[in-house]
Order: sequence, then structure tokens, then C-alpha cells
Amino acid sequence: MNLELHDIQGIIARGYGKHPAAAYLLLHVAEPVAARRWLGALIDRIQTCEQRPDPAVPCFNIALTHPGLAALGLDPEALGTFPTELQEGMTEPQRSRALGDDGAAADPKGTPRHWAWGGTGHQQRPVHCLLMLFAVSPAELELAVEAMTGSLADGGLALISRLDTSLLADQAKDGGVREHFGFRDAISQPGIQGLHPQSGNLPQVPAGEFILGYTNAYGLITECPRVHRQRDPDGLLPPAEFGTHDLGRNGSYLVFRQLDQRVKAFWQFLDQASRDPDGSANPQRRLELAARLVGRWPGGAPLVESPEQDDPALATENSFSYQQSDPQGLRCPLGAHIRRSNPRDSLSPNPGSAASLAVNATHRLLRRGRTYGTPLSASFDPEEILRAADGEQRGLHFICINANITRQFEFVQRSWINNSQFNGLLDETDPLLGPRRLPSGRPTDQFTIQGCPVRQRISGLPSFVVVRGGAYFFLPGIAALRYLASLTP
Amino acid sequence: MIPQSSLTIVAPIQPSAEALAGLGVALGKLKLDPAGNHLVPFGDFERLHYARFVILDATTDPSNGQPVAASLALSCCFDGSADGFLRELVVGAAEGLRVIFSHSSEGPGQGDQALLAWLRRHQIPTQTFYVNTLGRTVSQIHQEAQLRDRIERFLDAAPRAAAGSATSALRQDIQEHVRSDEALAWARQPVAPFPLAWRLRDGLDRIGGIALGLLLGLLALPFLPIFLVLLRRSEIKAPHPRQDPNFRLSQFNRRHLAQDEDFTIQNQFSVLGFIKPGLFRYFTLRAILAVANFVVHHFFRSGDLGTVRLLNLYGVDTIHFASWIVVDGGRRVFFMSNYDFNLEDYMNDFINKVAWGLNLIFGHGSNYPRTDWMVLGGARDEQVYKAVLRKYQVRTQVWYCAYPDLSAITINRNAAIRAGLFADLDSAAEQAWLALL
Ligand code: HEM
Repeated sequence: MNLELHDIQGIIARGYGKHPAAAYLLLHVAEPVAARRWLGALIDRIQTCEQRPDPAVPCFNIALTHPGLAALGLDPEALGTFPTELQEGMTEPQRSRALGDDGAAADPKGTPRHWAWGGTGHQQRPVHCLLMLFAVSPAELELAVEAMTGSLADGGLALISRLDTSLLADQAKDGGVREHFGFRDAISQPGIQGLHPQSGNLPQVPAGEFILGYTNAYGLITECPRVHRQRDPDGLLPPAEFGTHDLGRNGSYLVFRQLDQRVKAFWQFLDQASRDPDGSANPQRRLELAARLVGRWPGGAPLVESPEQDDPALATENSFSYQQSDPQGLRCPLGAHIRRSNPRDSLSPNPGSAASLAVNATHRLLRRGRTYGTPLSASFDPEEILRAADGEQRGLHFICINANITRQFEFVQRSWINNSQFNGLLDETDPLLGPRRLPSGRPTDQFTIQGCPVRQRISGLPSFVVVRGGAYFFLPGIAALRYLASLTP
Repeated sequence: MIPQSSLTIVAPIQPSAEALAGLGVALGKLKLDPAGNHLVPFGDFERLHYARFVILDATTDPSNGQPVAASLALSCCFDGSADGFLRELVVGAAEGLRVIFSHSSEGPGQGDQALLAWLRRHQIPTQTFYVNTLGRTVSQIHQEAQLRDRIERFLDAAPRAAAGSATSALRQDIQEHVRSDEALAWARQPVAPFPLAWRLRDGLDRIGGIALGLLLGLLALPFLPIFLVLLRRSEIKAPHPRQDPNFRLSQFNRRHLAQDEDFTIQNQFSVLGFIKPGLFRYFTLRAILAVANFVVHHFFRSGDLGTVRLLNLYGVDTIHFASWIVVDGGRRVFFMSNYDFNLEDYMNDFINKVAWGLNLIFGHGSNYPRTDWMVLGGARDEQVYKAVLRKYQVRTQVWYCAYPDLSAITINRNAAIRAGLFADLDSAAEQAWLALL
């Protein structure tokens, strides 16, 4: 089935790499009437998947939380058709426990009570709307943000926070980016059927995993939010089952988590853990250890393909799998960040088979986040990082898009990243960002490097990543945005 | 090795608000500390793997409008025989059981003998009982976890030496270390096998069961066309949740149920639902539960449920114990399981790997997503299936597990470490053994 590209927001198709400057505005709807007018005026400027992004103008995309939809005036019946996780939100206590944000498991600073936004602290204004702006240069971005913030007061919206980003260009100068620990990022993305050409030998993922209204990995249509026919008399939305109109079609869900990275603590820990018996630093082993935690070398080369050293020729290599070449984790540890967050063909049923890949395809994420803050060292040299003074906040505005938050984002976070007995491992979670103990108190602060004759295990990993904010958003299609803008109470 | 059994007591609750409230208070006390509370300190029972209290709420049978009274279920999984365990339970928790069951319509009388007789009267049979690994006792699970821990620590303490040494030398070091620890003396021998008498009986049971199955199968063969016609009619006629907008939307009662989930590696699951109306469904389900009980007992009892390589079927290895019980005079089925990780993992595992098996059994329940020919369709309707499952899930008021932070895979691995520790291995097997650590 052909995708209705003109109705799908552009961020699903692209990361806007040619628009390196970006900012996210978190908004609160104070005046619904004015806010709907504001939204209506914005719609024509929203970047869709159809046009190529024009470098001459900034790109906009917009997403709404469940309270945001209510604040705009969506009726309760329609609000009740959204998935449970969107209705409850990211900080519902049970969910926090499962996501590892609960005080029992998380770093105390990272619990929703202490988040800078989206949290449960009393003074926080509820986040209703996320406006994403992308521009070619900081100057252009500034103009766009100024124009936008200038329009907010009349638009019945209050600015809760402006989240800035800073793209960390890779030294390879090939358009690649790094994250703050110093690793090349944004290499691996799911190939989406109908949106991307087939590349490499890994199977593509059905569009319905990322866009509502299309067939998903189970061959079904993911349930869509809907409105009663009578509430859409002008027929702005396409008809759906049960006498309703489809509010979800061509939309998706967007997960946002602001993740502070403790860059110096990361390298300090690795520095200590890799020292020679006489106590002297061993930079080579330190680098190897870091690569083992991630599953790729800082330059991007995957460990399964190049276990001994970084290899610029493999910087963007992504058509690998694990079972054939590395079933035991001797090249890429079983618990490495990328092997947990996308195990590819390494899990049951029947690792290495098409059946294993088919199950994996039901847990894929389209990552669209960007880094924020200045890097501790512009060259990402660990020596320099270890010498630098770390005071500022820096990290990753983690954004991912998926059609089913529970089965995709939450599953990856909870069942793979946070799972202390993932894939036969014991008492360890994702080395970059997993919680360091179970809710029961049992420590999970180890990391195992499978080896011959026997594994090596490092322990006492501190938290390298602390959650600072987050929310679940609905990323509507264009027609749905028009519908929301046209609501009458 | 000692075979495991289960025991389930179901007793009607007095139909009054006070009784329910009183029961709530008592169970609330247990919930705070299932292992060590003063009423029924489950942790005191050394051969107890799992225990739970579940209130089966009062409801009406949708097929005939008849009321179904509320009852309280106590279900336990343990090593050894049910009768012996019941006696231990009475010795160790008579007072607490009396307090809890005093809210039943006909409470247990005074004295331990009366209590024992009362419990026996309310004991109901389990139709299908699944055990991840038959024979592995609670103490074996704890011991082997401890052994693994000791060995891992030993390796941690001398990492460089370990990395440098040869496979057999390293294994010898580990063996030496274990031998030197008196607390691990038990680990020098392999696990004792099942008693001979049990093995004989079990073997006969298996042969007899297969023979009986073949015979009944042959006798039933002429009726197969009629059966298929009846089945198909029933499948087409049954109300189908996909046609009901409520079932299509979200996870029912999620918050209510999730408050008891995700505190440990393991989770519990209790579900209660009506069987589709009519004798056809009832007898088909009873037959399937009986066959399933035989099959899981004889063929899926070492760590995996549902893998049949020949048929290219891959099962699940994350379920510890599960029981299917027909309750309320044959109107409802009560299912309990103890599984690893989150409910979403559990549901996905079933949908992805053993939807056919799930359909065979649960397909006879009201509102189950429509099956085709009993094994197709059904749970493969992902979101509808997940909604139905939450809708009929009931809260487990009290849940006890003797090893809540050990997954089945970890337990199996610990057992493999112990089994291979002093075994006579060639060098490839030695390397494979070290890779378990
Ligand atoms: C500050 C936190 C994080 C850091 C520093 C980080 C870092 C990285 C790096 C360096 C890569 C390799 C680059 C690539 O394959 O594209 C990667 C891949 C990935 N990360 Fe993260 N990540 C973080 C948080 C997360 C979170 C929260 C999730 C999901 C819940 C996640 C999911 C993934 C996935 C799915 C991949 C791709 C793996 C693959 O397909 O092979 N990451 N991450």
C-alpha cells in the first residue's frame, strides 16, 4: 500500500540532517480557542514526508500529549480511544517502576519527582505540546524560534521550556554525528517498507510499525484513536470502523526522554577498570572496554565485524547480525548497548533464523533525538575528557517514534535495556543507561565480557545517564491536526 | 530429584460485605510480607515453590444469568506429595488459615484435625499442571544459585590469572575452590535421580497413556467430521471481541493489576473466565486439558514448553509453574502462572511462539479472539488478545515465590553449572562449561 506522504509529518521520514540547528519548545495550552487558531495557522508550514526539506526555510513538526489533546478540546470519548500508555503518561507510578525511573531502581536524581519537565513535581506545568524546529544555522534557528515564541502569547500558549540541541559532528566530516561519550551515533535505523529503499541484507520493517493506518509486523493494523462520526461533520478525517472517523491515520507516537550524560564519570570509571596491575593507566584497554559497553567503536565500526580495533571503513556498517559470527558474545558482548537495544537475530525462537528476526521486527524504534550541551572535549579524546572540569549539563534528547509504545519503546527499555537477566546474563543491565539495582534492592551494576577461556566481569558501574524529563506524545497526521484545530466546544 | 505437585483449595466466601472486608484485612497483612507474616508464613515451608491467595469474585454466568458466588482460592506448588504438604501447612499455619477461612460460608471447625478435614473437603483437582523442570527442588534451586555465586566471585577475585590460564587448569582451580568449601560439600555429587519406584510408575504411565490415547483416537476418528462441523459452527457463531469496540482499545484494568507487577524478576498471573456456553465446548476443553496434562508432564518437563524441533515449533522457557483448574461446577476456568519478566514479554512470547497452544486451550473461553480450526487465528490478533487477557486477569491478593529474582533460564543455567562442575568432560565440553559462567 502506498503511504500518504503528504499527510505524514516529515520527522518520520527524515532526521533533517541538512538542518543541523534544532530546538524543541515545550508548550502549555492556556487558551484553547486561541491555541486552536494558532495551530490552524501553523499547519501549512509543517514539514511533511512529501516535500524534500528546503534548506532555505526552517522545518516544523508538532506533537501533543494526552492532556494537551484534552486542553485543545478533544472530546472525552475520543480521548478514551488513545492507547493506555498515552492516557496514563510516562510518569504513572507503575510505569515508572517498569521503566526503571522509580526511586527504588533509578538514581534518586532521575526520578520523575525531580525531573526538569514532564515530571510529577508540584510546581510543574503540564506539558501539552512539543514543537520541533530545525534550521540550517544557529542564526536561522534563532529567527525561527523568536518568531515562534513571539506568536505564543496571542496563540494562547505558554512556553514551559526551550530545549536546545547541539549536533556533535563526527571527525570524519562525512555528515555523521557523535553522542557525548564520544561514540558515533545515528547509524542504525530500521528500514521502513515503502519509505526507504532496501539497503543491506537485513529485512525491512512494515510501515505500520511506525505509522498508524498501515499493516504492522503482525500483518494487522495497529488500533487507532478515533472520533465519533457526528463529531466530524465536515469529514476532515477518513471514515473508520464502528461509525467513527480515524484520528490516528498517518500519525504515530513520539517518546521523548531527556537523558543527562555523566561523561567524565563514564571515562573515569573505564579508566579505573582498565588499569594495569601496577596501577598505571592503559589507554588502549580503556578504549576497548568502552567499545565493549557500546558494541561499536567510537568511530562506529561494529564489534562483531571488527572486534580488535576501530575501522573507519566500517563507520556506518549496519547490515550485520549476531548469531552466525558471534553466538556467544566473544566479539560483541551479549550485554553491549546495541546488542540489547536491537538484538537482531540473537534471541529465541531459533536464533539466527528468519523467525528470530521476525520477532525482533516487532520491537524496533525509529530514533530521532539530538544531543544537547557542549562536549567535554571537542576531539572526544578520553585523556582530555579526564582532565576537563565537568560542571555543565549535557546529554541526549532521546526521541523515538513508534506506532505502539508498549510493544516498542517500553519493551526495549524494560525487557532488554533494564532486564538484569537478559539473554542469559545475570545481575547486569544496559551498561550505558540501565538501572544499577532491582526494585528489590539486588545490585545489577556489573558488566560481563564473554571470553576464552572464561568471561571477565567488571562491577560497580555507577549511573552514567540520568533522566531529566520526558513525556509520551501523539504525532498526528496533517488531517488530524486540521481536525484538532477546527474543534468547536 | 523429587516430583512437584500442586494443591488448590477453593472455598465460597460468606455473601456479606463484612466477610469480604474482614478477608481483605487478613490478606492485606499477608501481602505486606508473604514470606514472614504471622498468619501464614510461606517462607517457613521449605519445599514450597509458590503460593497465592486469589479472590474469585461473585459474578453472573452470561449464558444463563445464574449467579456465581465469590470464593477464595489458595494455591500452592511444592516438592513432594499434596497430602504431606497439606499436613505441614496445618502444622505451620493452623491459626492463620483459620482466620482467613473463617470468612468462608462454612468455616473450618476447631482443632487441627477438623481444619485438615475441612481443607481436604475444599481441595479441588488441577486439570493441567506444568512444571518447568520436573524434579528440581526448592533447596536445589537455592543451593545451585549459591554455588554459581561462589564460583563467579572466585573468578572475579583473580581475573587476570583466570584470563591467562588454560581451560582445564582453570576448571581444576574452580573445582579445587569448591572442594575446599565445606558449605558446598553437597555440590561434589550430582543431583540424586528420581526414586526408582517413581521412575517405573512414570514410565508405565507414559506407555499406558500413549496406548490409551491411540486407542481413543482411533475410536474417535469416525466422529472427526462431525466434530469439525460442530467446531466450525461454534467458531463462527461465537461473539468475537474484534467486533466490540471496547475490546479494541486498550488494556483493561491495567493500573489496578500492574500495582502488583514488576517488583522482582518473576511475576504472577491469575486469570478467570467463563467457558463458551454449551456442552460441546465444555467436553472439548476437558479432553484437551487432560491430554495437555499428560503431554506437558511427559514431554515438556525440562525447561521448555512447546518446542518440537521436528515440527519447527519453538516454545517458551520463561514459565516456572502453571495450572489450569476448572471451577464453579464446570462453568469457569481458573489459570495461574508464575513467569519471568514483564507481562508484555509474557504475552508477546505466547503470541510469537505458542499461539497455537494458547488457542487450543483458551480458545474455549468466552470472548477469546476468534480461532480458526482451534489452532489458527486467536492469539495472533495481537492487540485484541492482549486486551482480552487483561480484561479477564484477576488480582492475586497474595503471592509468594521462594526465589523471585531468579529467572527460569538462570535457574537452568545454574543447574547446568552444577551438573558439569565435576563431570568428566572433553576439552570442547570443558570450554562450553566455562562459557556458562
Ligand atoms: C544517553 C543515552 C544513550 C546513549 C549515549 C546511546 C548511545 C548509542 C550509541 C553510541 C549507539 C550506536 C549507534 C547506532 O547504532 O546508531 C546506539 C544505538 C542504539 N540505541 Fe542508544 N543510546 C542512549 C539511549 C538509548 C535509549 C534510551 C534507547 C531506547 C530505549 C536506545 C536505543 C538504541 C537503539 C535501538 C540503537 C540501535 C542499535 C542497533 O540497531 O544496532 N538508546 N545508542
